[in-house]
Amino acid sequence: MGIKLNLSRKDKIFFIVFLIIYIVVAVLNYKHVGKLEGVGQRWIIGIGISENITLRLNPLTVIMSWAIMVFLMLSAVKFKKNLRIIPSRFQAFFEYILSFIYEIVEDSIPRKELVKPVFYISATLFLFIVISNILGGFPGIQVVPTDEGIKISLFQDTWFSPTADINTNATYAVMVLILSHAFAIKVKGFWRWFKSFFEPNPLMFPMNVIGELAKPISHSLRLFGNIAGGGILVLILSYMTKYIFIPVILWGFFGLFVGVIQALVFSMLAIAYISAQIE
Amino acid sequence: MENMDLAHAIVQAAKFLGAGIAMGFGAIGPAIGEGHIGAYAMDAIARQPEMSGSIVTRMLLAMAVTESTGLYSLLIAFILLFIV
Repeated sequence: MGIKLNLSRKDKIFFIVFLIIYIVVAVLNYKHVGKLEGVGQRWIIGIGISENITLRLNPLTVIMSWAIMVFLMLSAVKFKKNLRIIPSRFQAFFEYILSFIYEIVEDSIPRKELVKPVFYISATLFLFIVISNILGGFPGIQVVPTDEGIKISLFQDTWFSPTADINTNATYAVMVLILSHAFAIKVKGFWRWFKSFFEPNPLMFPMNVIGELAKPISHSLRLFGNIAGGGILVLILSYMTKYIFIPVILWGFFGLFVGVIQALVFSMLAIAYISAQIE
Repeated sequence: MENMDLAHAIVQAAKFLGAGIAMGFGAIGPAIGEGHIGAYAMDAIARQPEMSGSIVTRMLLAMAVTESTGLYSLLIAFILLFIV
């Protein structure tokens, strides 16, 4: 067991030169690290509809969501165009992910005819969330509000991931809640679904309603806390170490490892909530 | 920060104290839970080493779910520090 690294002479020279350049740039950069501003603050613009109603909008969430959606659509088109019996690397990668989710759905959904719709929902959620979480692990352009106005910081922070905004997660969690009840009505019929709120006895009705309403809250806050909390933690720690070595490790941990696991947890909980309503 | 009246100073101190207390006590539960999950996963792997792949995957998933109670207190701490 264990991974064996076979480095040629060329690779070793490359790594040593890379490390030397990294350290030199880091030491030169040390004095230019600006003061940390706007930690945990979001760039929000207000759109006034009428005098009393104002829409509060986070432009970064909108931009990044659309960028991820366009990316997913383009890769879907590419996937469909190049379908082969002997898969290319790109096709095998997506087939592996999707079949992994399909097996989970097949195991937990008892009705055969509902496996496909539930698979579409959970796979879509997984793909969107995993890409937005991984984006939160790469340094990029971030916009934060400061006392003087809006400040655009390049490569000081990671890309803004849409899942670090509670509105995105809450939307998906509420969507899963509504979908699970819609499936339940479709499978059981309206009266049996309605009666399930009064089980085991009518006194438990408020408890059942609260239990259902608590699901989207914990579902959305789990993802939000992981991604937003991890982002702030990494930002503060990398500022303290003046961006030498530590941020790379932390971006890898919080962006890639935690991001993929939380995306998987989110879509698996969506499947579990739907299957709990169907049974 | 230097010329701050007493009321603001007390509020500032209470913010930091509150964030520390929230995070410190909030971390106890998930720590115990994750320890339990890890211990039982080790137990299972020791009994059936050939199942270790799927056990580790499920252990990580269970840990991610257990962590969420700790994250709620992290959120409270961040709200206290940066927003209130």
